[in-house]
Amino acid sequence: MQQLINRTDVVAAVKQAAAETLRIDAATIRPDHSFVRDLGLESLDFLDIDYRLEQTFGIKMARHFFLEHAEDLFGEGSAIDADGRLTSQAIELLKSRYDPTRLPDLSSGLDMDQVSGLITVDSMSDAVMGILDTLPERCACGASAWKNGEGRRIVCGACGAPAAYTNGDELIRQWLTGIQAERNLFSA
Amino acid sequence: MKFNNSVALVTGSSRGIGAAIARAFARAGADVVINHRTVGGSSEAKAGELAAEIQALGRQALVVPADIADREAVRAMMAAVRERFGRLDHLILNAARAPFKPMERLLDRELRDLVETNFVGQVRCLREALALLETSGGRVVFVSSLGSRFYAPEYPLGAMKAAMEAAVRHWAESLRPRGINANAVCGGIVRTDAFKVLRQVWDGLDRLPEELCVAPEEIADAVLFLCAPESRGVRGQTLVVDRGLGNRLRF
Repeated sequence: MQQLINRTDVVAAVKQAAAETLRIDAATIRPDHSFVRDLGLESLDFLDIDYRLEQTFGIKMARHFFLEHAEDLFGEGSAIDADGRLTSQAIELLKSRYDPTRLPDLSSGLDMDQVSGLITVDSMSDAVMGILDTLPERCACGASAWKNGEGRRIVCGACGAPAAYTNGDELIRQWLTGIQAERNLFSA
Repeated sequence: MKFNNSVALVTGSSRGIGAAIARAFARAGADVVINHRTVGGSSEAKAGELAAEIQALGRQALVVPADIADREAVRAMMAAVRERFGRLDHLILNAARAPFKPMERLLDRELRDLVETNFVGQVRCLREALALLETSGGRVVFVSSLGSRFYAPEYPLGAMKAAMEAAVRHWAESLRPRGINANAVCGGIVRTDAFKVLRQVWDGLDRLPEELCVAPEEIADAVLFLCAPESRGVRGQTLVVDRGLGNRLRF
């Protein structure tokens, strides 16, 4: 965990990044806005927002969505079936990852194409917070003296090195591995 | 170069290189068909803005949403071109879509999508446009990239670009009797939306000197040259527009 950057800062940065990518006023963006459904974002735009956030915080956002990682870890077809529908295991993952009150009715299943619509300013802010919270207690130099550096980047107060965070993809893989160990959703 | 009284269809032209090509055609006097894939998103909005810009130049612009991987959608797009303009002189195969990850890590589904959009989709566009192109003695230009001849990290699209450069050579001969010519433009590093993805998977790309970065307009100029009478002696070739990046072993 880290105490130097709070969630309000992160939400503001996500709104700012989206506003710059879409060339709209950041004040019009709400935390519950879906990037795809409410703001008209497309896949290339997501990567632009990711890049801006990476520059802001000195982090690496996930390159691949958690369902793609699930397919990588547990085999093709484990999260998305041949018709592009989410498997029951993928729906379980979705419920664990997102605030259930904000999920659509999943009783009739979900198409992979609809999944990107679930990503909101809030959920992306959670992803950024998750990465920032991997800040280790100590810098590689041994000091425990993290401080706010230039912009919104955390640096070591002793040696000046930038903070080393776990990257977004690795974090997702850790999360999936943890869930699998706990609930054994995907049989070997 | 003058393209008055001609019609150009540029696939994937709501943004990036495609938009630059559409704009260049309009400035040179052509009417333009703008194509994009996703309905209701940022590319539809961008296509609308581009159409307005082209109309302000005094040219006609038709926006047709179609996924080139969808055979029926491609058919409908060509039918719309026929209905609106009754002709097609320049078919610019620019649309592309691919995941960024090492080729051997693509899931079967992703591998099929890669080929379906970036190879089969291109061939379908050509096939459905053949009747129109034959009537006008049309030109086909495929927009390729350096990925066709160099390794780039997490860029499986490069293999499809190589296949298409071969397809263009094939068409230049097979379509010769029908009066149709085909060539390709192979672009270097162009700062478009796709560049934003590349720089995330390709460490150090951000440090590429500015003088080696190609402007979308430079690709567009080469495309227009390959559609103009001045290039009549060029058949089945791929013209590299990379500011010399491909000449170097390092930058």
